[in-house]
Amino acid sequence: MRRTLAILDYALGATRRRGGRNLAIAAGLAFVVGLVSAVLLLTGALEREFALSVDATPDLVVQRVVGGRPGLIEVDSSSALSELPAVSSVRPRVWGYLFVPSLEANVTIVGATPGELGEALSHQIVEGRGPRPGANQECLAGAALAKRLGLRPGDGIALPVHGDIRVLDAVGLFHADSALHSADVLVVSESMARDLLGIPQGMATDLAIRLTTPDEAGVVANHLERALGQVGQVRVLDKRLLARTYELTFGGRSGLSAIMLLPALAAFLLLAWERLTGLGGVERREIGVLKAIGWSTSDVLLARLLESGLVSLGGTLFGLLAGYVYVFQFGAPGLRAALLGWSTLYPELVLVPNADLGQAAALLGAVVVPFIATSLVPAWRAAVVDPDETMRGAA
Amino acid sequence: MTREPASTEASTEEALGVSHVFKRYRDGDTMVEAVSDVSLSVPRASLSVLVGPSGAGKTTLLGILGGLVLPTRGDARIDGRSVVHLRDHHRTALRRQKVGFAFQDLALIHGMSLLENVLLPLTPQGGARKQDVARAEGLLERFGLLDKRDRRVERLSGGEKQRGAIARTLILEPPILLLDEPTAHLDGENAAAIVDALAELRDEGTTLVAATHDARLSEDPRIDRALHMADGKLC
Repeated sequence: MRRTLAILDYALGATRRRGGRNLAIAAGLAFVVGLVSAVLLLTGALEREFALSVDATPDLVVQRVVGGRPGLIEVDSSSALSELPAVSSVRPRVWGYLFVPSLEANVTIVGATPGELGEALSHQIVEGRGPRPGANQECLAGAALAKRLGLRPGDGIALPVHGDIRVLDAVGLFHADSALHSADVLVVSESMARDLLGIPQGMATDLAIRLTTPDEAGVVANHLERALGQVGQVRVLDKRLLARTYELTFGGRSGLSAIMLLPALAAFLLLAWERLTGLGGVERREIGVLKAIGWSTSDVLLARLLESGLVSLGGTLFGLLAGYVYVFQFGAPGLRAALLGWSTLYPELVLVPNADLGQAAALLGAVVVPFIATSLVPAWRAAVVDPDETMRGAA
Repeated sequence: MTREPASTEASTEEALGVSHVFKRYRDGDTMVEAVSDVSLSVPRASLSVLVGPSGAGKTTLLGILGGLVLPTRGDARIDGRSVVHLRDHHRTALRRQKVGFAFQDLALIHGMSLLENVLLPLTPQGGARKQDVARAEGLLERFGLLDKRDRRVERLSGGEKQRGAIARTLILEPPILLLDEPTAHLDGENAAAIVDALAELRDEGTTLVAATHDARLSEDPRIDRALHMADGKLC
């Protein structure tokens, strides 16, 4: 142990002595690793975000299609569907988007039943309280939306409705596992949602269906269309297909980005290989001196391993950290547009910091191991020949 | 000064020895025979010099004597033990235990202080402890370098580097010391100081062999034996 520590001390000194070169190599590594890790982190965060979002989605969602676009659906049709085997529950949902000129953005208005307001949402409230039954002017704001607007419990929110203004009291803030579910959401009573969105009684935005066996969603979807007797006029959205679409979209985009970065990584490793396989005269002479004053080949190799390990590990860890900060602190400007595309789903997607340690370890291994190997090979070649010959060769 | 013929037999009094050694180097497309059929036995506690012009093979023979260079043919012994067939790590261990080297090109590592250089041989043993630092400072004082202990070696004069390199060889207290041109970079006063130090070490029981073409060393009356080399052979 003392030997290792003493050689580590020597390696630290050697790293400092060749500071300029080592710093340049570490910086290059950090840059390339930072880019690759940013793509992986951003993709992972988006996939996680959408996976959480899909988890909260009903097994099936039934929409009426009018002129090829989603329209309102009759609440009554839910009774026909709930009698189907495999259907566990049918819930007519009242929700929609409301454009708020002062925010220059859409807010998602979600209507909740008194039961949902009282129970289901209560454990998600992080600040304030839930709306009281019958208090139509009270609402819950998504924590992410509140953070963006600087909204606190007790503040009023003015919403434009049919040329008029409705002022709601934000009595509480709620948190959702997925930032998607709280980034632009206002939860109000169902009757207030109908008022704000102009949805008449007896109609709903869609029907959310839970199944007893979600694996049979595809079969049940066909039964639903037939039960409604409106094949071609209703659309049934399958949760699994939605998940698969997200997976393919982001997986494909991140794969493409990663492939585009691979040549940069390969070029850098090649450069490092070129730089390191040709040991400089000074380094070759140093190895000869160490051997001559009694260092064994394994001592020399350990020193070299520690030096290149310090450089490559330092550069790679810094790159991983920089990638993390770039994605989760700064929101990955530039890269985000490439991965999300140019369509804006809503005003702001707040990424939840999440690190995949396995992925980081794999990236660390993929960079550090070959890097150390490229430095050990020439050092070993210099260390196994007579020290005198090594020094002559270096002269 | 005594000038004895080279002995070829190993004995209990032998510190270093070579028997019929050859060393060939490849120099481009041609082979160069740096040492050719040399036999030599160096007794303990003696001060010997290898004398000869540049290219005579002195440095190579010094390397073979110390186990730093493996001969192409023949046998080399340190403290009676043949080093030719030893594995690299055993040869290194033997060298670390028995032999100290001071090189012609000084071989101090730039970017490190003089004291760090002197302590460097101790690193594989776990680094320097307090008493090692004290010993290193004692060695630097002996060679008049204590006030330069923290100076980076590239800022030392040639003479200071030379004395520093010798001080480093002594940190492991080797019973055998091999020196390549130890007075080459020194002025008269410093060269005399080095010769004094070498003679003193011999008197303390150290076996010393120095390769030189400096008459200030080779013709000093305290030298036990001067061995002349030319074209890779002992004359």
